[in-house]
Amino acid sequence: MAEPGETTWDVEALLSDALRPIDPPERLFGRIEGTFTALSAAAATELSDWAEELSESEMRALREPRNWVRPVVAVGVGGVATGALVLFELRRRGRHEANGLKGLAAGVRDRF
Amino acid sequence: MSGPEENVEPAQLAPAKKAELDRAFEDFYRAHLRDVYSYAYYRVGNHHDAEDLTEQAFLQAYRHFDRARRESDGRPLRPWLIRIAHNLASNYYRDRSRRPQTPLDSADPIATRHDTEDLVAGREELRQVMANLEHLSDDRREALIMRFALGMDNREIARALGRSDGATKVLIHRAIKQLQEEMEGPEDG
Repeated sequence: MAEPGETTWDVEALLSDALRPIDPPERLFGRIEGTFTALSAAAATELSDWAEELSESEMRALREPRNWVRPVVAVGVGGVATGALVLFELRRRGRHEANGLKGLAAGVRDRF
Repeated sequence: MSGPEENVEPAQLAPAKKAELDRAFEDFYRAHLRDVYSYAYYRVGNHHDAEDLTEQAFLQAYRHFDRARRESDGRPLRPWLIRIAHNLASNYYRDRSRRPQTPLDSADPIATRHDTEDLVAGREELRQVMANLEHLSDDRREALIMRFALGMDNREIARALGRSDGATKVLIHRAIKQLQEEMEGPEDG
């Protein structure tokens, strides 16, 4: 494929030199992984809280498979937090203290 | 099952499907983190905002990853990802009514940790080309960032910018020509 600027190779060489790819800082890996982990934790917390608030009759209704679609949909429409990623959870588990994780999760949710 | 046109939030997927999606996204994330970060940095001009933008881009990408894979027909998803970062960067400027306030080769302490010392190591030509890059229109500058910082070809850039291949080729050609003319002209401020 013919590349543009065939007669301007010097500028292209300068651009190649000037616009080098930039390695992200190491902390960014941890930050993004932490965000996804926090979202997962937030989703799990929401599910847990939601289950604890159910009355006995609601729990009985939940045991009925014909009703299972409703909680699934409810979780689905819960927003970004319930769309959370479990990507790095196992790897990250234990690296955060509970309070720190909760704070991080709250912070992430606040942003949405 | 969901059709190709509808987006399904990851949490709505069946567990096995979601696990597969998560594994695929992890690979995708690791493969393209540097691309997104480089693009973000050259767009916003500082590492702090580049980190924010990169994180937001991957969060948004994750939400639509399943649909993007279904609609990609096997084509690489990098242009789609860079388009997300591109849109976020545009919103960044619109929301904050600002452009990069300092040259990219300024004395940013973090920059020195990313092997960009050469930008300021007496290479006046590099300094000049970076300054002139800021004189280009947004679309020209973005196309050059994608070409040279990310190594994207015309077709990828076209997809990322939502243009035709031909229009993208012309865009890049004109961007380089303008830079050439600026480099050959008198240096300004």
